[in-house]
Amino acid sequence: MSDGMNMTARDAIFAKLREHKSPQEDAYPLPPVAVFGDCDASPERFAKNLAQMGGKLLPRKPGESIAHVIDAAFPARQNLCTAVPEVEGTLRIEDLEDHYQANKVDVMVVRAAFGIAEVGGIFLSEVELKEHLADVHLAQHLVVLLSQAELTGNMHTAYRDRSEFKTAGYGVVMSGPSATADIQGVLIRGAQGVRSLSVIWD
Amino acid sequence: MSNKPIPHAKSAAEWIEKEDHYTFHDERLWDMRQKRDEQMHLLPEWQDLREQASRLKEHTLAHLPHYLEQFEENARRNGIHVHWARDGAEHNRIVESLLKKHNKTSIIKSKSMITDECEMREYLEPRGYSVTETDLGERIQQLDGQMPSHVVVPAVQKLTGDVAQLFAKYYDTDPASDDPHELAEAQRIAARPALLTGDTGMTGGNFLVAETGTFVVCTNEGNADLSANLPDLHIATLGIERLIPRMADLGVFIRLLSRSALGSPITQYTTHFRKPKKGGEMHVILVDNGRSDRLAMDDFWSSLKCIRCGACMNTCPVYRRSGGQSYGAVYSGPIGAIIDPTFNAKKFSTLPFASTMNGSCTNVCPVKINIHDQLYKWRQVLAERHEIPFVKRALMKMAGRLLAQPALYRLSISGAEVALKTVPRFALYNYFNQWGKHRELPHPVKETFHSWYKKNRLNKEKGAEKEETEA
Ligand code: SF4
Repeated sequence: MSDGMNMTARDAIFAKLREHKSPQEDAYPLPPVAVFGDCDASPERFAKNLAQMGGKLLPRKPGESIAHVIDAAFPARQNLCTAVPEVEGTLRIEDLEDHYQANKVDVMVVRAAFGIAEVGGIFLSEVELKEHLADVHLAQHLVVLLSQAELTGNMHTAYRDRSEFKTAGYGVVMSGPSATADIQGVLIRGAQGVRSLSVIWD
Repeated sequence: MSNKPIPHAKSAAEWIEKEDHYTFHDERLWDMRQKRDEQMHLLPEWQDLREQASRLKEHTLAHLPHYLEQFEENARRNGIHVHWARDGAEHNRIVESLLKKHNKTSIIKSKSMITDECEMREYLEPRGYSVTETDLGERIQQLDGQMPSHVVVPAVQKLTGDVAQLFAKYYDTDPASDDPHELAEAQRIAARPALLTGDTGMTGGNFLVAETGTFVVCTNEGNADLSANLPDLHIATLGIERLIPRMADLGVFIRLLSRSALGSPITQYTTHFRKPKKGGEMHVILVDNGRSDRLAMDDFWSSLKCIRCGACMNTCPVYRRSGGQSYGAVYSGPIGAIIDPTFNAKKFSTLPFASTMNGSCTNVCPVKINIHDQLYKWRQVLAERHEIPFVKRALMKMAGRLLAQPALYRLSISGAEVALKTVPRFALYNYFNQWGKHRELPHPVKETFHSWYKKNRLNKEKGAEKEETEA
């Protein structure tokens, strides 16, 4: 920052840190990157942990279209907003004019860049969301298309292997829908973001 | 701000009188602790994770200027504005100047302990800015005019009925509601218009990744992703100790954080901000506020490793039985008791005594902070500095021990002449009367607290401490 006051603050903080720091540099070398634990990246492991986090796997019969799976899961839905070419929906995410329109979306369909088996998590960035970062969280329900070929084992392998963490401007790992337990410890799925999160293998 | 020592024990005594609150709080936090244990047992690598997390944090703190520079450089390259604040007041002025510059007036905010530490709301609101907490627990506390009671579950000291009363006043819901779903839904409905119209989003953050200039926010409700992404202006406040070196190190911390906090494998949202959104502006304010002083303290610097999981609070018998509000500080529980005195040794002089020294906090800490050793060292420091007279010191130590029932109680009553049920309350109320609080004793008692204490303490304390300690 060119702001003079701020420059002073920065200098003051660094000066203090350099002069008085108690832990000595040589005593604390950087440990090598660690990968611990189960690295199983199977769809079964993903599905089990997705369920634990409150997410759903929508069953899909061989040859069944994604649109059909969504219609079966959300028979009462009106606005179906889509960020994927596989589903037509009632409107495309690129065509959302403002957040108020997104606020009326019943079901949003996106494709995740990858999934993390350990936590049943899916990764979304501005690429998959077509820059509509907030709109995905305004929708009532989220449907995620995920390829079984894009699964990684656990959080270590995810951060080590997936380049998206170093390229995306906004990257969110969602493990199940929004949730809260802030009132007397009662777990409520569907807090302020999406009320449900469903995954379809594709 | 008053410098008067926080009457932890007195507040705790008042708390204990609300029996249903007290019981729920104790059980809820113990349940979180047990869920954490279940997660730990599922991962054979748990101790390796803790060791790695501890070593990474120690390394980063020992090289803090280097990693801060690296973070700043990378964040700036990605288009993030980086600011530095020596203290809370400076932080608040930076926020205000950004709001002024962009002609903004309404902040939608996700939970962040550090903005509470900076007393940002208190600064901005009288100046005409609105600050809306969007996290459910934090919002409950905001509406009730209270500080967060817990770093992870801010309103854990309240029962459904308390929330119903509060929401009835502000959200026009049924004051008699006893359904948490209904109340959470009321928050969702009330928050949406605020989220849609707020012109500035504010978040905290759990980690800063030096290698990429990323900051990471771990949440469950979805309100942080909404608050950050809806407005064009996003301001994030983080402490300078939040750094880790590499993206590949993040897995260690993410794997530990929510498992230690709530006993869930991960938070519902793990969000990585590396660049402003298209057409938006992103600011990161890095706050010192006493951290550089703490880093210079030989005995206490390692408390900066803390990732604010709250596990030490959930396991602490004193915290569970006294409630976060009794600490009178932004940070409560064992971690609060070691960092609060670094902000104000006099005001928070009583807190290091709110402990049984059972070591359970140290055992559960995912980054291996020697919390109970530091509590002990604080007692020594405060005694040397004469922040508290001797008599009070001895009594405060007792408060910690007595709140740590049932272990100590079970042992202590074995040699006492009073009935099993009366001992805990009798002993506590006697003790709390030291602060001039008058209350009738629940039952007539034969023995004074002091004679009881003298008779029982010496050989009993040691054994009692073990009981709640994790093997
Ligand atoms: S001190 Fe350790 S256990 Fe306590 S909140 Fe911090 S990281 Fe968690």
